[in-house]
Amino acid sequence: MAIVTARLKETRPGGWAVTVLVGILAVAWLVPLWLVVVTAMKTTPEYFHDASQWSLPENPLQLFANVSDAWFTSGMGAGFMASLLYGVVAAGLAILFASLGAYSITRLRIRWPFFWFVLVFSGTIFPFQMYLIPLFKLYQDTGLYDTQLGMIFFYTAIALPFCLFVMRGYFATIPRELQEAARIDGCSDFGIFRRIILPLSWRPIAVLFLFQFTWIWNDLLFGLVLSTSDGVRPITPSLAGLQGQFAHSGPPLVLAAALLATLPTIALFLLLGRYMMRGLTLTTAGRAGSD
Amino acid sequence: MASDAKPRKAKAGKAAAPEGTEVAEASRPFGRLAAAAAPYLYVTPMVLLVGVFLLYPAADTMWLSLTKWNGIYPPTFIGFDNYLNLWTDPVFITASLNTVYWVAGVMLLQTALGLALAVLLNTSPLAELYKRILYLPAAISGAAIGVIWYAIFNNQFGILNASLRFVGLGALTQAWLTTPPLNTFSMIVAAVWQGLGPTIILFLVGLQTIPRDPIEAAQTDGANAWQVFRYVTLPLLRPITVVVVGINLINSFKVFDIIWTMTQGGPYRSSETLAVTMFRDSFVSFEFGYGASVAMVLTVVTFAVAVFYIRAIFQRLEVQ
Repeated sequence: MAIVTARLKETRPGGWAVTVLVGILAVAWLVPLWLVVVTAMKTTPEYFHDASQWSLPENPLQLFANVSDAWFTSGMGAGFMASLLYGVVAAGLAILFASLGAYSITRLRIRWPFFWFVLVFSGTIFPFQMYLIPLFKLYQDTGLYDTQLGMIFFYTAIALPFCLFVMRGYFATIPRELQEAARIDGCSDFGIFRRIILPLSWRPIAVLFLFQFTWIWNDLLFGLVLSTSDGVRPITPSLAGLQGQFAHSGPPLVLAAALLATLPTIALFLLLGRYMMRGLTLTTAGRAGSD
Repeated sequence: MASDAKPRKAKAGKAAAPEGTEVAEASRPFGRLAAAAAPYLYVTPMVLLVGVFLLYPAADTMWLSLTKWNGIYPPTFIGFDNYLNLWTDPVFITASLNTVYWVAGVMLLQTALGLALAVLLNTSPLAELYKRILYLPAAISGAAIGVIWYAIFNNQFGILNASLRFVGLGALTQAWLTTPPLNTFSMIVAAVWQGLGPTIILFLVGLQTIPRDPIEAAQTDGANAWQVFRYVTLPLLRPITVVVVGINLINSFKVFDIIWTMTQGGPYRSSETLAVTMFRDSFVSFEFGYGASVAMVLTVVTFAVAVFYIRAIFQRLEVQ
C-alpha cells in the first residue's frame, strides 16, 4: 500500500508544483503572526515612525516591557488569571458531572436513560444569543453577576452537554465484565465509577479537557455580558476593551496583549495539536447530532 | 442521533435487570429506597446546571421576544410586534444582508478553497507540516484574531495601507474597515484565516476514508486529474462535504467575536450581523424584548439549516 501511494506521488504530474504553491500559501498564513510578534517588540514611537511597518524591531527585548505593561497596567494580568481559573475549574467540573451522568445513564438502573441524555444534550442546539438576556437578568437578580462563582457556573453548564455526549459514547464501549467482576469483589457503584470507569477513560477526558479549556479561554460573548470588573472579567473581554483604545494605548501594547491572550492556546496546540485535530473530528460528530 | 441511541437504550434496560445489583445492598426498606434513588443523584448536578443556565434562559428568551422590556420595569406583552418591526428596521435589513455576505464569503473562500487544498495536500509529502501551519490560527481566540487583523486593516496606521504606500501602490489604499460593504469583506478574510485549517482537516479525514480502487480504475481508464476529482472523488466525499457545509453555514450565522473587536458592527451599524445586532439591541440600547426577537430569528434560521443538513445525511443513508 505504501509503495503504491509513493509511486502515485512520483507519477503525479506537477506534484512538486503543488507542494510549492501550497507552501507559498502556508508562508502567507504565517505572515500575520510574524507581524504581530515583530510589532509587539517595538516601542510606540518606533511603530509610528516606521513607514512600511515591516522593519525589524530595534530592540526585541522591548517585547517584555510591552507584555509587562499589558499585564500590570492594562488589566490583562487579572484577565489571564481569571480565564485560567475558569478554564481549569469549569472544564474539570463539566467533565466530572458529565461523567457521573453518563455513568448513571449507561450503567445504573435509572428510568428513561435516553430522556436524561436528550434533556442535557438539548443545551447545545440553541445559538448562544438565546441565553444572553435571561442570564444577564438572572445574574443581576441573584448576585451572581460579575462574580467568579457565576462565571464558573455558566462555563461548567455550557461545557456539559458535549462532555456528556462524548463520555456516554465512550462508557458504552467499556466491557460490562469489568464492572461485574468488580461488583463480585464487593465494589460499590461509586467505587466502580471511581476505580474502574474513570481511569479507563483518561483519553477522552484529556481530549475533552483540552477542548473545553480552549473554548472557555477563547469565549468573548459571555465574558462581556456576565462580568465587568478586573479580577472577574476573563482575558478576551479585557483584550477587546484594550482594543477599543488602539491608537491611544499604542499598537505594540495592544498586540503584546493579544499575544498574551493567545499564548496558552497556541502552546497547547503546539504541544498537543495532534489531539486537538482529533478532537475536531469528535466535535464534528457531536455537531452532526446537535446542529 | 435517535438512530444510534435506541439500541443502546434497549441494551441498558436489558442488562440492568438480570444483574444481581441488590447483593451488596442492605435489605432494609431505607437501603432499598436509597439504592433506587442513587442513579438520579448522579444525573442531578448536570441536569440542574444545564436546566438553570441554558434551558431556562432559552425558554425565557422565547417569551421575552413577545414583550417590550427595558430591563427596569416588568416586561409588557405586545404579541408579535417585535417581529413585525424587524422587517422595516434598516439595521436588521443591513445585518441580514451582511449575514448573507458572510455565508457566501465563507462558502467560497473557506469551504471551496478548503476542499481544493485538502485534495492537493492529500498527496503532498509535506502535508503534515502544511496542515499544522494552516491550522495554527484556529487555536487563537476570535477576539485576538480581530485585534490582529485590525492592526492590519486599520485605515490610518494599519500595516496593509502602510505597506501599499511603501511599495508605491498608495492608490490602492482603502478605508478597509469603515467603507460598507468592504468592511464586511475585510472581516471575512480574517475569519477565513482562522477557519480554513479546520475545514482542510475535516476534508482530509474524508479523503482518507475514500477507497483507492475507483480512483486508480479511473486513472487507468485515462481520466485526467480534474475528471478524477469531479466524477470520482467529489461524489465519494459527499458525506463529509455535507458536514463541513453545515458547520461552516451555522458558524457564519453566529459570527460575533471578530466583528466585535474589528468594527463593533460600525460605522453606523453598517457591518453588523444578526448576532451583533442582537447584542447591541439588548446590551447597548437595552431593548431586551426586541433583542430577544432577533435571537429567535437567528434560532429559526439555524434550525432551518440543521433540518436540511440532517435530511441530507438521512437521504444518504437511504441511498446506501
